[in-house]
Formats: sequence, C-alpha cells, structure tokens
Amino acid sequence: MKKTICILLALLMATGSTACGPVKQETAKEGFRPSLDTSASCHINVAGGYDNFEALEAEFDRFNDYYPNVELMFTKVDDYNNMIGTVLNGNDAPDIYVNYSWMYGRDQYRSSIDHAEDLSDPALGLDLDCIRSNIILNTEDGSLPMVPVFSNTYGMLVNNSLFEKEGLKIPKTYRELVEVCDAFRKKGYESPVMGFSNEETTSVFTLTGYPFFCGTVAEDPKAVKKLNAMDPSAGEYMRHALEKISQFMEDGCVDLDACAEIENNYDAVILRFFEGDVPMMTGSGDTFSGTEKRESRSEAFIAAPFNYTFVPIPMSDEGASFLDMPNLQFSVNKESKNLDMANEFMRFLITSEELNEMARSKGLMSPTKDLSFNSKFSAFGEVPESRILSPEEFGLTDDAVIQFRMAAFGVGTGAMTIEEAIAGYGTYAEE
Amino acid sequence: MRRIFISIVNVIIMVAILVFVVLYSGYTSRESYRRQIEHFENTTVTMEQVTGNYLEGEQRVCDVWARYINNNVMTMEEAAEYIRSSHVLANTSAHLIFTDTFTGLSTRPKQGTADDYAVSYERVGLIDNMNWDDEIGRSINITRAYTNPMNGEQSLAFGNTLTLYDPEGEASREAVLLRVIPISELEQKWIFPQTELVNAELSMIDADGYYIIKGYSFKNSSFFEFYKSYNPTDPESAKQLFEQITSSTGSISMLNSHGQECILAFTPVAATAGWTMLGFVPAEDLHVDRENWLLFGVVSVGLLILFLCDMFYMFSMNKRLQATAREAESANKAKTDFLSTMSHDIRTPMNAILGLTTLAEKNLGDVDSPQESLRKISLASNHLLTLINDILDISKVESGKLKLSPLTFSIVETVENLVNISQPMIKEKNLEFSFHIDKMENEYLYTDQLRLNQIYINILSNAIKYTEPGGQVRVDMSSEKSLKPGCVRLNYKVADTGIGMSPEFIATMYQPFSRQVDSRVNSIQGTGLGLTITKQMVELMGGTIDCQSEQGKGTTFTVVLDIPVADRQREDMQLENVNVLIVDDDEIMLETAVDTLESLGALTEQAQSGPEALGMIEHRHLSGRDYDVVIVDWKMPGMDGLETINRIRSEIDADIPVLVISAYDWSDIEDKAKEAGAIGFVSKPLFRSTLYDKINDLIGKESVSPEPEDDHSDLRGLNILVAEDNDINWEIISKILSVFGITASRAENGRVCVDMISAAEKGSYDLIFMDVQMPEMNGLDATRTIRKLEDPWASSIPIVAMTADAFSENVTECLNAGMNGHIAKPIDIKLVVKEIRRIKEGKDRNRS
Repeated sequence: MKKTICILLALLMATGSTACGPVKQETAKEGFRPSLDTSASCHINVAGGYDNFEALEAEFDRFNDYYPNVELMFTKVDDYNNMIGTVLNGNDAPDIYVNYSWMYGRDQYRSSIDHAEDLSDPALGLDLDCIRSNIILNTEDGSLPMVPVFSNTYGMLVNNSLFEKEGLKIPKTYRELVEVCDAFRKKGYESPVMGFSNEETTSVFTLTGYPFFCGTVAEDPKAVKKLNAMDPSAGEYMRHALEKISQFMEDGCVDLDACAEIENNYDAVILRFFEGDVPMMTGSGDTFSGTEKRESRSEAFIAAPFNYTFVPIPMSDEGASFLDMPNLQFSVNKESKNLDMANEFMRFLITSEELNEMARSKGLMSPTKDLSFNSKFSAFGEVPESRILSPEEFGLTDDAVIQFRMAAFGVGTGAMTIEEAIAGYGTYAEE
Repeated sequence: MRRIFISIVNVIIMVAILVFVVLYSGYTSRESYRRQIEHFENTTVTMEQVTGNYLEGEQRVCDVWARYINNNVMTMEEAAEYIRSSHVLANTSAHLIFTDTFTGLSTRPKQGTADDYAVSYERVGLIDNMNWDDEIGRSINITRAYTNPMNGEQSLAFGNTLTLYDPEGEASREAVLLRVIPISELEQKWIFPQTELVNAELSMIDADGYYIIKGYSFKNSSFFEFYKSYNPTDPESAKQLFEQITSSTGSISMLNSHGQECILAFTPVAATAGWTMLGFVPAEDLHVDRENWLLFGVVSVGLLILFLCDMFYMFSMNKRLQATAREAESANKAKTDFLSTMSHDIRTPMNAILGLTTLAEKNLGDVDSPQESLRKISLASNHLLTLINDILDISKVESGKLKLSPLTFSIVETVENLVNISQPMIKEKNLEFSFHIDKMENEYLYTDQLRLNQIYINILSNAIKYTEPGGQVRVDMSSEKSLKPGCVRLNYKVADTGIGMSPEFIATMYQPFSRQVDSRVNSIQGTGLGLTITKQMVELMGGTIDCQSEQGKGTTFTVVLDIPVADRQREDMQLENVNVLIVDDDEIMLETAVDTLESLGALTEQAQSGPEALGMIEHRHLSGRDYDVVIVDWKMPGMDGLETINRIRSEIDADIPVLVISAYDWSDIEDKAKEAGAIGFVSKPLFRSTLYDKINDLIGKESVSPEPEDDHSDLRGLNILVAEDNDINWEIISKILSVFGITASRAENGRVCVDMISAAEKGSYDLIFMDVQMPEMNGLDATRTIRKLEDPWASSIPIVAMTADAFSENVTECLNAGMNGHIAKPIDIKLVVKEIRRIKEGKDRNRS
C-alpha cells in the first residue's frame, strides 16, 4: 500500500511535468499523400474575381498541414473576366486561376483557355470521378482546361419554420406550388414567392422560367442548334417557358410590387428573406451562398431566427428540374513557375472531401456526386436524373441563354407580350 | 504511516516549489511577453513612420507632376509625354484618366503592344469614387491595391486631380493622374525589419478595413472580415474594436486562420487620413519562455530525482533501522532470555550448593553423606564459577577491553588439562572420545594460555554437550610451519556426531546469547556466550575459526592459530637404545606414537591388537631381547588392554614394564590396570615429553618433572603471610594451608602487610599471598612498596596474588607490580599447592 502510494505520487509528478510540455496535434488528413518533398518552399498564387475567398484560404491552411513552407495566396483581379488574359500574360501571372467554361470558343477569352493545363491528364492524379460528370466540360478536342470547384443552380430559399408554423408542406409540383401560394395568401402573406425583379440578371423570371425552358429544349438538338445560331425562328422554342412565366404571374404567386422593393439580386434578396415573412424567395446558388454570413447582419433574423433550405422550384406538374451548372472552375497555368506544386494542390483539392468542405464553407453547391453532406441542398439530390439539366452539356450557349433571360424578363414584368418576346429572339443585347 | 506522511510532505514541498517556479516563470514570462509586445508595437509605429516617409516621397513626385501639368495647361498627350520624359523607374507607370469617361493614356504601352497607350478604368471601380483624393500637396492620395489594366499587375497608385486642356472641346477637362507602382515592387522593400521576428507581417488598411497592402497571413479582402471570420465576437464588440484599431496605437490578441494566437499591433498612418498600419505576429514568437519551461522541466526532473532518491534513501534507512530495531529487539530479547536463563542457571547451582550445604549440616554424624554433598557442592560451585567467568568475559568482549596476556606455557599441560576437564562429561555421557596429536614438536609456546584454554575448552565442551550419549567426539591437534616468523601454526579440530546446527543458527551462532534450540538438548546448560567469546578470542589472537555442520549429523569446528614458540624448550629428551612396543588398534594413533618415539631415539615396534602384541612379546622374550617398555591401549576390540596385560604377565613375563594408554581418566581404570599388572599410565594424546617422562621413569632414568601428587610433606613447615581483608577468605585459606602443614599469618590490608614484612626477621615468611582489592593500601601498591624495601630478603620475597580479579590483564597487572604469580578466587586447592611448590622450587634452585 505504501509502495503503491509512493509510485502513484512519483507518477503524478512525472505526469505533471510532462503534461506541461507542448502537445503536437495530429491534424494531417488521411487519404491525401504528398507526392513532393514536403519541405518544399514556394509561393502559389490563385487568382479570381472574388473580393475574398475564405473557403479557399481554409483549404490553403489544410494544404499547409502537408506542405508547411508553401505560401498560398488568393488574389482578387479587378474586372476579372476581361483582365485574366492580361494578367496571365503579365508579371503577376497566377499559378492557378478561376476560369469559366462559357469562355470556350470566344476569342476575347482565348488567353484564359490557352494558358490552362489539360487537367484530364491521368498523370496529374486528379480524382475527377468525384465530380458530377455533367458539369465536367471538356473542349472540343477533348482536353479539360478547367474543373469545377463549385456548382450553381437556380432554386428558391424556403422558410421551413414558416411552412411548419402555417401547417403547409413544401411544394413538389407546380400545382402544389400554386396551392401553397394560395394558402399563404389566405393567411395574409401577400407575396408568397418573391425574388429580384429590377433587372433581368437572375431575376425571379429567369430563375423560375429558365429551368423550365431548358427542360423543353434539352432533348432537341435541332432546337438548341437554332437557338445558338440566334435564328429568329428559334424564338418559338421559348413559347412554353414564357407561357409558364406568364401563368406563374397570373396565378398570383408573386407580388411584383413587393419584389420591386428588392434593390439587388444578392444582399437585398437575402436580407429581405431574413425578414421572416417570405415563405419562398427565388435565388441562385450564388445568392444562397451568402445567406449564412448575412444571418448576423439581419436584425430581424437575429431576433427571430428560423430554419431555411434551398430547393428547386417546381415549375411543372411532373416536379422540379435541377439545373446543374458549373460555377467556379479552376485552371492551372501551364506556364506556372511552380507547376508541380500547383498540380499537387489541385490533386489535394479535387477530392470529395475537400470540395465538399470548401462548398460547405462557401455556402455553395458542391460539384461532387454526393450532395447529401449538406442538408440545405439535399432537396436537389432527390431530383430524378431525368430532370437534371445541364445547359453546357446539351450545348446551349451563353448568348442563347441571354436571349431567353431578356425575353423572360420582358414577359414577366409585362413589358412584352409573349409574341413580342418570341419575335425578338436574336435581337436582345445584354445591357 | 509516518513514511506516507513524509512522502506527502515531500510531495507538497515539491509541488509548492513547482508552483512557485511556474508562477515565477509565468510572471517573468508575462513580463517578458509584455515587453515584447511593447517592442512589437513600437516597431510597428516605426514602420508606420518609415512607410509614411515613403508614401510622402512617392506622393511628392506625383504632386510635382500634377502642379507642373496644371500650371502649364497641357493636353493629355502633352502631360503623358512630360511624365514619360521625367519618369525613370522601370517598373512604374503613370496613368492619366478623364474622370468623366474613366479612359485616358498610360505612359507605358499596353502589355503585348508597342504603341497602344490607351487605358480604361471603366471596370476597375477605382475612379468612380474619388473620396481618397485631396488637394495637391495636402495629403497622400493612394488607391487600394488593384489590377493595373495595362499589364494585369497588382498595383497601388498615388494620385492627384488634374485639369487638362481638351483640344477637341477647346475647354479644360478634369482628369486624374495616377502614379502606378506594382505591389510586388513594394513588397520587396516593405518587410518587417526584425530579424528575430521572421514571421511578423505588415498590412495597411483603409478606414473600412480593406487592405491597401496585405500581408500573407491576413485573409479576406477586409481585415474586419478577417477578424470576424476567425474570432468569436458580436457586432457591438467588433465595432468598438475596429474603432479602436483605426483610431489609436496599441495591440490586441487575436486568432489567425489556423486558430493560432497572434498579436496585432496597430497604429494610424499619419500621412493618410483613415489608414492604419497593422503588424501581425504569432504570439508564440513573442514568448521567450522556452527557458522557463526548461527551468520547470529541470526543476521537475531534479525534484523527482531528489524525491526518488529521498524515498530510496528513506526506504533504505528504514530498512536498516528496521533491521537495527529487529537486531536490537532480538538482542534485547536475547538479553531478557539470557537474564532469564542466567537466573535459572545461577539459581540451579546455588540451589544445589545451599541444599547440599543444608544436607551436609544435617548429616554431620554420617561420614559419607557430607563428603558426597561437599563433592557435589564443589561441582556446582565450579559450574557457577564458569558461568560467572563467561559473563565477565563477554562483558569485556563487548566493551572491547579484552586483552591478551602472553606467557610461556606447555601445550602438553594445556592438552592434559583439556582432557582432564572433559573426562567427567565424556564419562558421564559415555561418549567415544579420541584425541590425536600430530607433529607437536614444540612443547613450550608463548601466548595467553588462559584464553587458549578457554578456546579449546569451549569448543570441546560444546562438542561433548551437544553430542548425545554413545556418540563420538574426536579431537585432532597438529602443528605445522607458520607463515609468521617465530610462530608455529596450531590446528585444533573437534568433530562430533552430535545434533549439528541448522544453517539459520550457523548464521547467528557467534552472536551473544545464542543457543541452538533442540528438544534433545533442552537440558543442556550454558550461557550461550561460549562461541561468542571463543570467536572474539580467536580473532584477538589473529586466528581463524571455521565450522562445518549438518543438522542431525554432527559438527566440526576448526581453529587455526599462529602461536609464537617460546624460547625455552626441552632439548635433552633422548631414549636411545630403548626398545618399545606400542599396541593400539588406532592406526593413526600408532603412526603418530611411533613417529614421536622414534624422534626420541627409541627403537619402536607396533602391534594393532592384543594377540599380535602377545606374539611379538613372546618372540622377543624367547629370543632374550625383551622390550624395555610395552605400551598398551586400554580399549581395543577383541582382546582389550587389560586382558593383554594379564596374558603378558601370566603367559610370558611378569616383569616386563607395561604402561596403559587411554584417553580416559586414569582413576577409573587404575585399580583394574594395576591388578592386571600395569605399572603406569599414559594419557592420550601421547606427547613427546609425556612419553619421554613415563618411559624414563620405567627404565630408571631421572625425570625432569617429577611431581608428587599426594605427598605434601615437602610443604610442611612453610610460613606464609596472607594479606586478606575478608575474614571468611582468610579463614578458608588459613585452614586449607594448615591441612598441608603450612602456617599462615594474616595482614588485614596492604599497609599492615608492608609493615609486617618490614618488621619481620629474615626468613620469617616463605611467601606472601596478596589480595589485591583491600582497604587503606591495595595489594598492587603493597607489592610495589615491598619491592622497594631496602632489606634484600624482604624486597625479594615471593608474592603471589590471590584475588577475585581474574582476568589476564589483572594477572599482567599483578606481575607488573612485582608479584611472582597469580591465583584467582575462588581458589582451587590444587592450583594453590602447585603455585606454592613452584615458588618453593624456584627458591630451592636459587639456593643451590
């Protein structure tokens, strides 16, 4: 007994003294295995148009667990889309940069595509299989200059707490949507669905009508071809969608006057939704990504927080379509002075775990096949494959999309009739 | 319990020390940390001043250009040309931008072209808000970091508003002059100056928190966003903090994107309104407490080692103390047991003495009974005396006062004495006893005979005591050459077939008051001091004692002593032409005896049995060459010694001198031996001198040491002065002396003794028996006084101490005082007579 006490006291002393020492934390991630010298020291610059990119900076920190001496930095480039070509040819050329697949085939953005390394090269070891194949967009020659790190979609923010409070279910079909809107109106909610309506860009009309429009032409290559060719007769392909928008307005789901008070399609949309009296607010995935950060900026939300999710808008009686589009895409500058390390970072980043983590941090939809990790996007994971639409996949060009957006905005706001909108196809120019 | 208490106290003290070290280290660390933060703040302020100077310098260049252009009414082309001509820095450029169209000219062509100088700021979003611009020379007008639209480089620009002449409109037109400097250019110069703070970084933010210049660890596009992203805060606190950062000089602690604690030092940039210089460094870089942790570690480990050593030492001490306590307890118990034993052992003979005395008194009329009682009283008294001597010896041993008093003595006498003393016990227990000697060539040795006797007797008496009746005790004594000059090595080996000893007992047998416990020997009396005394004495004499024992089988003790050979030896022993037949069944005995006899010059033959001896004697007799002496062992298998003698006398020759040898007491067999025809007795072991003397007696030669045993007529008429203060002692000695026809006079003390001898006529006294401890003048002083007397007779009169001071040093003391001998009380009558004879013979020799 005495000996035991002595031993325990000695151990206590020893433990006490060792407990005071520093404890190395195991932070290294399992799965990724560095292929370069982990003591390598270099500077990796990632260029993009975001003012800030905390989600990516968090990835930098995680990458530093393996390569502590590699300095990674995100640099905002002003007027990104126009400047990235100049930047890539200048002294500050980044090692990795944000790219967009809509730049394919456009001369003014050629530099951005030409500087990009072919990421489909198996030697690079990128886990491309983790990304949904319909948003991986190769060029015509089969190379892959960019890989999506976020995806985008159109949908609506749903105040689940409000639905629950009013005893209503989130609509799965257009009929249910109209019924829910009717029910909300009867309960005093003048505009059950709201959205930005002052400009055509991601307006409530585009967000509701475009997925529907894609559904009508996705299986018709001839229509797509004509639409892309700006053939005036292709305007007819918009008819069903425009009629749907018109019907949507007539069904009384949207109070345009109330929507007009929303000043912009980002902050104002979110903050208006956080007022708590809007059951449904249309928005893009980009818009939804800003919600979490703005919770603390909304006094109304702070005072009365509620549960919300982002769901596809059910504009057809068959159910909602999931418009699956790449959002931010990364390219590696093939002339990077630290090309190996840039590729190593991409190899680290292009995995389900890292992409999901970055998407969760940014609040955007992940490009990976598994959407269940984020409950706020899980409704999109439930959309059947037949209604997942990828405009880039079936080949609708950005110019054609702009034509539809302008037409939808005109019809939705009542500035045009459906016939006028159809007739004007190919003549619309982005303001 | 006490050990736990001490351990806990130790731990508490250690913990207290460690707490103190930690607190003190913490205090010094915090102080050092605080100073480091102050230093970091100051460095940030210095950097702000350096930066301010740099910005002012750059702004001044811009101001000079703007003033010149404004003063000279220039078109945009002229202004651009003017700047090109005065612009020398390779990596910088200047942009002239109309504020209404956000377009203009650059002093350097667009990237990838040679002559395209057109520049547009339409999509940069820099000029649409000109809040940062002020009147020329009033302040520093600097843009945020932006992408240079001409070459895509991240850049800063110093600016001024201009008024240019528009030739198309023939009017003046507002424009902006931007002196554009690449940030990469700036970053090479703009680093934190402290080499020891390699991780320190600088940033500069505007009033809204947006970075003008951004250090690597600063995240987001706004510092405030950066702070909120990684540091928990509420809007109100954040607002207050940002106000503090943008309006004062100081520092705060905050987390970086890794969750690592950092120090942010901030100070307003005086040169530009609303801008703030930020210094950022990991807090651990400012901590200089590694040494403190080292100190803590060293102190901890040191204390731990100390604690463990302490515990180990305490454990060891406790163990030793426990052992000592156990020993003390054991010794105490042994002493208690000893006292108990002593009480028993003393009371037993005392009981015998007192009881037998009473019996003797009551049976005075009976002749035999008092005699038997007195004999037993004598035995009991001797036992009591041994007991007392042992107790006294051990007390001397324990106090370290035991000293040797060497004297010249005869080893023959010592052995005879040894045999004589042990005979009664051997006889009583009917033990088979043998005593062999070998190569004992030097009879006289020089050592403390008393102690040597004690050693030999103790070992032999133990062997006898612990051997059951019918067992065997064998003694072997031999001498060999010693490594010590002038010495002979005496080996004394006593082997018995007794109860033996357990290994546990052997381990402690030399400790005082130890006695082997055995049901068979519970009746054995002893002090338990014998072996202790024996070992001490052996060691005192420079010898060794060894013991081999097996329980139930017996014990063998071996004592080896290097003893100096005395100068005096009997050199004249010769038995030339003497025919001797020695008969014994013991071959070793025969061999040593033959060697001894032949060394004396005797013609020796041997026989191993009675019949063989008879044959040899008869053969000699028939051939007319009778043996001069036949020596026959008493105990032999088949025909024993007595029968052999009988048959020699009856069958061969009645006159042949026959001696009986035996290890047993002569008195026991004397009658039978004489009746059978033996004419003498030689006791075993057969020493050279013993054999010489006995054979010499038989063949008619003069013996050197004739010693009448029962004839005391030679003592008659002697007159002895006895100095004795005790009446009873006086009575005893005077009556004993009177038995031998010696007259005695008494002196009551030393002084009276001196007076009496001084007054006595020459020859009045033959001897003085001097007690030592007496009133008025003790025996030693009295002796010294007598030796100093002028009268030669008086001063040389033999004085023999007769005292209870019985130790050898007492003897030496007496001899040193001038006495001629020593007799210890209680007195042994034989010794008294022997001493008187020795004195008398000395006197006789002196007369002749």
